[in-house]
Amino acid sequence: MLRLPFSRGLPCVRVVWSAAVRGTASNPAPEKIEVFVDDKSVLVDPGTTVLQAAAMVGVEIPRFCYHERLSVAGNCRMCLVEVEKSPKPVAACAMPVMKGWRIKTNSEMTRRAREGVMEFLLVNHPLDCPICDQGGECDLQDQSMAFGSDRSRFTDIHHSGKRAVEDKDIGPLVKTIMTRCIHCTRCIRFASEVAGVDDLGTTGRGSDMQVGTYIEKMFLSELSGNIIDLCPVGALTSKPYSFTARPWETRKTESIDVLDAVGSNIIVSTRTGEVLRILPRLNEDINEEWLADKARFAYDGLKRQRLMTPMMRNKDGELVVVDWEDALIATASALSHAQPDEIAGIAGGLVDAEALVALKDLLNRLGSENLVTETIFPMEGSGTDFRTNYLANSTIAGIEEADLVLLVGTNPRFEAPLYNSRIRKSYLHNEQNVALLGPKINLTYDYEHLGDSASDLKKLVDGSHPFSAKLKAAKRPLIVLGSQQLARSDGAAILSHVQQLAKKLSSSAEPDWKILNVLHSNASQVAALDLGYKAGTAEIRQKPLKVVYLLGADEGTISPNDLASGGVVIYQGHHGDVGASMADIVLPGAAYTEKQGTYVNTEGRAQQTLVAVTPPGLAREDWKIIRALSELAGYKLPYDTLFEIRDRLDDIAPHLTRHGEVEEASFLDQSVELSKNIASSFDSSPIDVKQKHLEDFFMTDAISRASPTMAKCVQAVLKQKQSKYYEGEV
Amino acid sequence: MQSSLRKVFRTFVCPTRGFKSSPASCHDSLFVHRDSKEDNLDVNFEFTPENRKRADAIISIYPEGHQRAAVIPLLDLAQRQYGWLPISAMHHVADLLNMPKMRVYEVATFYTMFIRKPIGKFHVQVCTTTPCWLRGSDEIVDCIRKKIGADVGGTSKDGLFTLSEVECLGACVNAPMVQINDDYYEDLTVQDTEEILDDLKNGKKPRAGPRSGRYAAEPAGGLTSLTGEPTGPGFKVRPDL
Amino acid sequence: MGSRQAAVKAGWKQAKPLISVSDRDCRTRALQLYKAWYRAFPEILRIQDLPVNLKQCREKLREEFHKNKNVTDLRVKDLLIVKGQQELQEFSKFWSQKSHMMMRFKETHNPQPQDFLSKFFSGHK
Repeated sequence: MLRLPFSRGLPCVRVVWSAAVRGTASNPAPEKIEVFVDDKSVLVDPGTTVLQAAAMVGVEIPRFCYHERLSVAGNCRMCLVEVEKSPKPVAACAMPVMKGWRIKTNSEMTRRAREGVMEFLLVNHPLDCPICDQGGECDLQDQSMAFGSDRSRFTDIHHSGKRAVEDKDIGPLVKTIMTRCIHCTRCIRFASEVAGVDDLGTTGRGSDMQVGTYIEKMFLSELSGNIIDLCPVGALTSKPYSFTARPWETRKTESIDVLDAVGSNIIVSTRTGEVLRILPRLNEDINEEWLADKARFAYDGLKRQRLMTPMMRNKDGELVVVDWEDALIATASALSHAQPDEIAGIAGGLVDAEALVALKDLLNRLGSENLVTETIFPMEGSGTDFRTNYLANSTIAGIEEADLVLLVGTNPRFEAPLYNSRIRKSYLHNEQNVALLGPKINLTYDYEHLGDSASDLKKLVDGSHPFSAKLKAAKRPLIVLGSQQLARSDGAAILSHVQQLAKKLSSSAEPDWKILNVLHSNASQVAALDLGYKAGTAEIRQKPLKVVYLLGADEGTISPNDLASGGVVIYQGHHGDVGASMADIVLPGAAYTEKQGTYVNTEGRAQQTLVAVTPPGLAREDWKIIRALSELAGYKLPYDTLFEIRDRLDDIAPHLTRHGEVEEASFLDQSVELSKNIASSFDSSPIDVKQKHLEDFFMTDAISRASPTMAKCVQAVLKQKQSKYYEGEV
Repeated sequence: MQSSLRKVFRTFVCPTRGFKSSPASCHDSLFVHRDSKEDNLDVNFEFTPENRKRADAIISIYPEGHQRAAVIPLLDLAQRQYGWLPISAMHHVADLLNMPKMRVYEVATFYTMFIRKPIGKFHVQVCTTTPCWLRGSDEIVDCIRKKIGADVGGTSKDGLFTLSEVECLGACVNAPMVQINDDYYEDLTVQDTEEILDDLKNGKKPRAGPRSGRYAAEPAGGLTSLTGEPTGPGFKVRPDL
Repeated sequence: MGSRQAAVKAGWKQAKPLISVSDRDCRTRALQLYKAWYRAFPEILRIQDLPVNLKQCREKLREEFHKNKNVTDLRVKDLLIVKGQQELQEFSKFWSQKSHMMMRFKETHNPQPQDFLSKFFSGHK
């Protein structure tokens, strides 16, 4: 089956991919061939391109169109290098090396070729660097300094002039200045190969060629922001960031994204205490070098709807600004006046592990065990006792090794876009097959739809389903269970059946291959479960609650009506959202760019955010608020510094302080054994997912709900849907 | 006071500041789509049953998984059916080949023979490259222009003729020439051209090919070589071989 | 212990006074300095725009002198007097400025919070 969107007939392309993709080393390695790059000998696999061979000895060949993660286009010609005995320079990015080649990357011919290419590129490139947002991080700028001519021969301004191209409106995130485009086609290849949205292309020919959508249509994808990073010139720039800052003016902080459970690595650019933009940071195990649009553009939500000062509800029922002391004393007295079992803590989706452990320690000291997360996870059977039950055990990078992926009630495209892009990558390049049990949705790749009936899981387990044969035949099958399904009334049955299926498949799969994966939709769930929080508020709602401590809980899973009369709702968090609006006491916390906090992603990898800006107003880091509260409540927690609280984390769950590493979990057998007693009756309602369409993707949490950019994205998608040129997503 | 004087002085004595702009360099066709009265999504396009059969035959030539290679012949078929290529025809082809619409737009805009705006029934393409120009293509262009009442690039009022100037069509021995739809009319004079256009207008089909009485590209005044019998084997070969 | 005390005493005896020959002499100098400062304040206040009045300055002067009331070593006293004279000169010639004078009052200076709770309330890291 032909899956690559561009069938480019270049033999090297496939070889390059298979070499780049993990886990394909099972074939015997072909004999290596020797080539010489600038007289340095290097042994490479057959099919390696000149550019890759040069990279192996540390020689970087300039390029515009070539990109490691995209197919080879070979159209910018910047990578021309001289090969000895070849009459013409060769394009290094597309030319596979031959035995004994002597590649000269710094010869006269190479330098002249680069200079010539650069001159041609600049003939039609506007001289508007001073007003261009790419200035300072522009490949064309840098390479024209390094390889271009020191003077211009361009005098044609009086006759035919420079090319001018109409700008395109491709959405609220990407600004286009198409005159600057040098036709590298990286954006087109990204859209087609990685994003799976074939909306960009080149129209026309010769000097009239232009990159765009031809019809009036926006490029709407959950990964569209990445074409900004890919663009080597200023043709595609960030609309929200436009004319904001130059790259050398900003301070860059390496951090972690918390708007989904993938835990993408990011760089937060700040200046004067303000987050200016968020860029992806390379991490091959998680996000490669991509970033989802929500993670990239929701940062303006960090400046709006913020809780700046502590607040308390007065007699008239209005929230009024108070001092920290007053707020904390009121909180402490509320806590100490309630019976232990009348106190509950509810953790939301954006909370760091430090705050989680502090709240748990405080409530435990008060004698309460009512600590839950908002997101539901079935507690029947072994519940959250084994990490295997609630992790994406195969890891994100492990998707590439799988040969069959079964998605159960999840839409990874919008729940975890980079998880989905991994599946798409493997689908395209590793002949991976995908099946979906759930509503019919557009995942950007073809899949076998197994219907949306939950009871089909039973058939899959006992092998009577038509798909069972394929599952059995798979050597490295992978089951991804969406966390939303666990919130159903039959969530426990679904989980137990998926576990049983995974157990059953493990006999036919490769040894040590992990099958069960739970794809979470928020960043704090795994850490909370690791720390011993229970999942779901249903149980505690039955209790006569007097004091509810909402730690960033904004999904509205509990309401003041669930409390006994005279109950107090305390909200600690950073945004004035659902939680704060029903709270009696509001304690302003820090958002993820403002604190050094540990987050655990869906595969169980602990990572930490770093402080990029200080919290606004009187807001404080979350664990410190709880620590201060504990002292006023008379149950002083024994940690004053970040190191001390991390020691405490280390005592409970050592993996939480081993940042960047995945702690393997392997108690599938035991948990299957324990889950056998769970009633296996399924609901008749079909399996459904919340985020079906692109407009459901953008605003899912307190930060993105406060972001005007995300609101614009939703508007744009809805507007696009009105257009006659809109093609249905399914 | 002084500055206003200076202003006056400047306006009267040196009235121009050197302002230079580059002339707009424009292609005659647009490489983005704009909805128009004739060309929008409401225009219904579908292959006629016989063209559909042809399309299926064309698609079947290509190996499994490579059907999208049929995009050029199918676009051509659509253009022959409709006269030109409206956006809905491109969409129809894309749906037929199950390929992204953008990839069809790319092909349709790349090739100049795909015409993406309304055109007359007869597309008169006059070659004005050097050999034809030397043999008087300018007169031919003038004649057609007058005859159809439209300029180069325009369409006659009755919607029958569209005039285009094109580069060499490879019939230099029979210069000057025009191509009308699929036919070459060669060795033209002004009268010939008028006659051809009149015939077309009246629904007749003028004979294609050279108008000078030549059969093809042979010399105008009869053969100048190869006039005798062809020589037999062994002609002018060394006797000792 | 005893030997150390003896050594200190020996050193004590050998040390020669620098300026003042006797306690009485030193006391006179100190009083002179005090008076000089006392009289200089109106002028200092005139040339410098200080947010304090004459009375506060003189109270501060008394306070500063009282800080050293337990000094017994003649040489240390002499040194303090010399430093006081130097400072007086600096202030009356406007070599030292407003902030140098206000440093003595130190009313804007708050101690750094030490324990967790006060750090938390003051917003210190």
